[in-house]
Amino acid sequence: MTLLMKETTTKFDPIALSILWSRLISIVDEAGTTLQRTSFSTVTRESNDFAVVLMDRKGRSIAQSTISVPSFLGVLPMLTKALLADYFPEDSWEEGDVVITNDPWLCAGHKPDIGIVSPIFHQNKLIGFIGTIAHSPDMGGVLWGAGSRDLYEEGLMIPPTKLYTAGKPNDTMFNILFSNVRAADQSVGDIKAQIAANDQGIKSLLKLMQENDLDDLQDLSDAVISASEKAMRKALQEAPNGSYQYSYDTDGDGKGNGCHFEITITIKDDEIIADYTGTSGPHPLSINAVLNYTYAYTAYPIKCTFSPDVPNNDGSFYPIKVTAPDNCLVNAKKPSPLGARNITGNMLHSVVFGALAKAVPEQVQADCGSACWCIVLNGEHNGKEFVEYFFLNGGYGARPNMDGEHVLSFPTNVANVPIEILESDIAVMVTEKSLVPDSGGKGKYRGGLGQRFSFKNVGDKPLNISLLTEKTQTVAKGIIEGQDGQKGSLQIIPEREFPPKGLDKLHPGEELILTLPGGGGYGCIEERDENSIAEDKILGYIT
Amino acid sequence: MKLGIDIGGTFTDFVLFNTNNKQLFFTKTLTTYPDPTVGIFNGIQEIREKYGFKVEELSDIVHGTTLVTNAVIERKGAKTAFITTAGFEDVLEIGREMRYDIYDIFLSMPKPLVPRNLRMGVQERIDTHGNVLEPLETNTLDTLAEELNKNGIESVGICLLNSFVNTAHEKAIGEFLKEKVPNVYYSLSSEIMPEVREYERSSATAMNAYVQPITDKYLKDFEEQLRQSNYEGNINIMISSGKLTTIDGARKSPIHLLESGPAGGAMAGVFYGSLLNEENLLCFDMGGTTAKACVIYEGKPEITNHFEAARVKRFKKGSGLPVRIPVIDLIEIGAGGGSIARVNSMGLLTVGPDSASSTPGPACYNLGGTQPTVTDADLVLGYLNPDYFLGGEMTLSVEAARNAIQKTLAEPLGISIEEAAMGIHKIVNENMANAARVHVLEKGMDPRHFNMIGFGGAGPVHAFGVAKLLNASRLIIPVGAGVTSALGFLVSPVASEKIQSHIAELGNINWSEVNAFLSEMEEEGIQFLENSGISKENATVERIVDMRYTGQGHEITITLPEGPLGLEQVDEIRARFKKEYEFRYNRSIEGIDLEMVTWRVVVQGPIPEMTVHQFTEVKSDKEAFKGNRQVYFEETGYLDCPVYDRYLLKTNEPFDGPAIIEETESTTVIGINTTVHLDRNKNIIIDLRG
Repeated sequence: MTLLMKETTTKFDPIALSILWSRLISIVDEAGTTLQRTSFSTVTRESNDFAVVLMDRKGRSIAQSTISVPSFLGVLPMLTKALLADYFPEDSWEEGDVVITNDPWLCAGHKPDIGIVSPIFHQNKLIGFIGTIAHSPDMGGVLWGAGSRDLYEEGLMIPPTKLYTAGKPNDTMFNILFSNVRAADQSVGDIKAQIAANDQGIKSLLKLMQENDLDDLQDLSDAVISASEKAMRKALQEAPNGSYQYSYDTDGDGKGNGCHFEITITIKDDEIIADYTGTSGPHPLSINAVLNYTYAYTAYPIKCTFSPDVPNNDGSFYPIKVTAPDNCLVNAKKPSPLGARNITGNMLHSVVFGALAKAVPEQVQADCGSACWCIVLNGEHNGKEFVEYFFLNGGYGARPNMDGEHVLSFPTNVANVPIEILESDIAVMVTEKSLVPDSGGKGKYRGGLGQRFSFKNVGDKPLNISLLTEKTQTVAKGIIEGQDGQKGSLQIIPEREFPPKGLDKLHPGEELILTLPGGGGYGCIEERDENSIAEDKILGYIT
Repeated sequence: MKLGIDIGGTFTDFVLFNTNNKQLFFTKTLTTYPDPTVGIFNGIQEIREKYGFKVEELSDIVHGTTLVTNAVIERKGAKTAFITTAGFEDVLEIGREMRYDIYDIFLSMPKPLVPRNLRMGVQERIDTHGNVLEPLETNTLDTLAEELNKNGIESVGICLLNSFVNTAHEKAIGEFLKEKVPNVYYSLSSEIMPEVREYERSSATAMNAYVQPITDKYLKDFEEQLRQSNYEGNINIMISSGKLTTIDGARKSPIHLLESGPAGGAMAGVFYGSLLNEENLLCFDMGGTTAKACVIYEGKPEITNHFEAARVKRFKKGSGLPVRIPVIDLIEIGAGGGSIARVNSMGLLTVGPDSASSTPGPACYNLGGTQPTVTDADLVLGYLNPDYFLGGEMTLSVEAARNAIQKTLAEPLGISIEEAAMGIHKIVNENMANAARVHVLEKGMDPRHFNMIGFGGAGPVHAFGVAKLLNASRLIIPVGAGVTSALGFLVSPVASEKIQSHIAELGNINWSEVNAFLSEMEEEGIQFLENSGISKENATVERIVDMRYTGQGHEITITLPEGPLGLEQVDEIRARFKKEYEFRYNRSIEGIDLEMVTWRVVVQGPIPEMTVHQFTEVKSDKEAFKGNRQVYFEETGYLDCPVYDRYLLKTNEPFDGPAIIEETESTTVIGINTTVHLDRNKNIIIDLRG
């Protein structure tokens, strides 16, 4: 086994390291909880759309908050390494500095995701960094979704900038933020919550260092990184060497201009390379993903397959390489619009599992009825402007040993907004929320059912709506002879044209009926247990 | 005389408090199945014989049971149907659509308590303001009643959209069922949990309906049998918030019994705290599979409204069925005597969260277990006496423990058996300290300001290590550490807790509406107390509200000013919120209004006084000192450590650690740099130096 991280004889025995490691993870988790509880952004607080990462002074991640969604895997260390290399070299940092950026190519692939990085000083020496990424309530520009025509319509771009220098706020930057974003108090409030989370993490880390007589983080960092790397490599080593291909189609705009994915996954001893050569070019809708983001959503299903239990740090990712041709759907370049890149990112698990099913069929799941559908409504309620986000999930893919769960978020992890909360926030009425019988792909194990969700504008003014749907033209694929799930659909009453992705208005009295796709099946239907079929009939999962 | 009775999975615990001579007695019997009342009456008989008293002398019986929790975990509740607004029958099954584990693609979500074919919709609709958009279609109710009969339904949960604002349709369905199918139990969401969020409300309502028939029958039998045996005193039931309710209250809302045992433990912590003048305490309870910790702040346990029952994956947040009832806020982690130690894929030693069940159990039980556990480590280190486990009822094999640790851990890691055993002990302590630290910090408090109290079978073995990690300066191991919950029952107040969701911005609120429902809730509470024999003068009223900055998702709890509320109180409420927010998060936010979400009125009777004269009386000429044994401490390695018999130790004669103090149910381990003494109530008080 060739380790990228040199294995060193550290001063940490397996007991001390085990103890320190769980302390490090609890430090970032603690900071994450504070961030979540004090933030305004629905996606941050309800959907864990944030990450807190502790890094050493080279920007290598040592610990990442456990409940973060996959979109941020590996992103903060990539950002911090870029900051050190191209913006703020190691010796330029001062205690009390805070750097902000939302540059999609450095950060998490679209402008609402804001990265905040703070240096950590101990005994007047830079010993590491702590960073948070969270989804801001607003960054200006058009209503969030797939509707923007280019990057500039997607709001304010903040290049890496010191928001605080040695504890002193950058008033110019704050003024620019206040002048460019909607609901500025809340958006700036969330940025401050990120800074507070960083500060809390620093405080806890310094306490840990003091209690354990550590002067520096590097030895500890080396030890955890090499342990994670080793575990990942060992798991890969057990998988059969070879090249595994898979191709996959998605809706694109849902009106005929679809997207095509090609992947070749090569497992060679203890390394894995995913290459997207053959994938479609940039899409005119803002569903393009930058390579950072593609990396995160490719590494995620690989990690689920090979080392679900190993804590995330730089080492877990050394054996995983992701490549894609320049300027394509999964390696977008300026000025491609990126706003709804999650639609593309949320598809990559299908492609990766599809290919890995040929190598390790017992370790993967069938395709899910993803991506998660997003609905953004904007208008006026009781004299105040609002932007309301809510999310809907399809059926979960079947597994090698069990059915897929109904209506469950994957690969992202987004909760729904309760109907009663939605109705109290804005003038809509929900008319149905139910499972869709027969929507799960058949197989030895059945895919989970999708859902129907319908709602009506019961106010007296039209609502601006940004809608993101997926799999109304395509399906969640079954694997290992499992059948495909049922596709979704979109209907408006009274009937008229409505864009499956993009911006429109929902007029008073209009009702939108959304039917989300079911998950794919696993294995051959002939092998399905008769009792399970009978039970599915009694419960009305199948008719 | 007062009697506390706690039914657990294995044992039924009894605590008898003699109000005349202020003495406490403890005893345990085996829990009997299928009818646990048999065990109760056996136990009562036993203590009557032992201590000689008449049933007529008892003034109070307080009871808690795991019956409700077990019915949900084992899915042994009644055959239940669920009625919803038509089109929303699947809300109970869809839940919140979120996974509880990000990386586990093989996870399963909890199955709903009512299957899809027994969930039925009725045509009706109420909007968010309580307006009826579509009247209740009463014609369909007849068919519904037939369906219930046809399916042999015993209980029905009813949860309609927005029923927390307007209860009319749910009430109408309830009335209809009462008339048409009088033998079927029914639970209305607007009574069980009148709070916004349809899934959480459905979940609580379905669970209440599911457990109601069995709880009802059990409590009815329990009461009847007590009355038949000439008992004429009060009967109260412990609920999850550390309060007591009446038999009627418990029969109506059995879900409040879910955490009665742990709540009793926490209330015992409150009691010991007051006895020892410790206002702020961290209670630490460790058993065979689980450790629990709870914060007592200014003499009160912290209460939360987020609780999950029957987690699919133990200790994993989000993997259970949510029940938003007031519950004492306990953290629970997979660290107990049976927790298994192993070397993980990264070559590191880890402990738990899974545990060896009672058979074969830890390797040292010699019943075929081969995986090393925390108990094995504690035995190798000399903390446990192989010949005095459970007071000598069981002999432990040191050799089997050493072998298991040698083979699974010491060899692969290249360390000695003692180092590996110490590693297990330290890691499990660290896991608990870590969880406790996060728990305390989440409340905006500093863990270093808390002293600790430790109980449960394994608690006293590990409490010292945990206290050291948390920098506590004092650790208390109370007497009766094995029956703490039942003791807690006797020091909990009778109370009524009413809840109402009403979402409004502080700057734009209809105060007359709020005052109206608050006083109605208060009135109901006072009525409840009067029915259980507590006069209005002896009742205290607390009105609290869950509020947040408008646009946030997480609420914090504020006590409302007394008297009618209006514009004059707005500044005070705002100031209280700001203070609490800053306390928790070290900052506040300007320019954003506040939103009130859920209002609660707690009407509480007095906390029963319990001045203990002496806990147990032991007359013996024997010395407490039992001899020395080899005990391994991290700082020193093995050393000759004195071992004492707790029952024979004299009060107020301080000595220095290290020491081992043995009693039937547990062993207290005390390391170096400590001073130990027994107070007059026989509590072990350990002062940690530096």
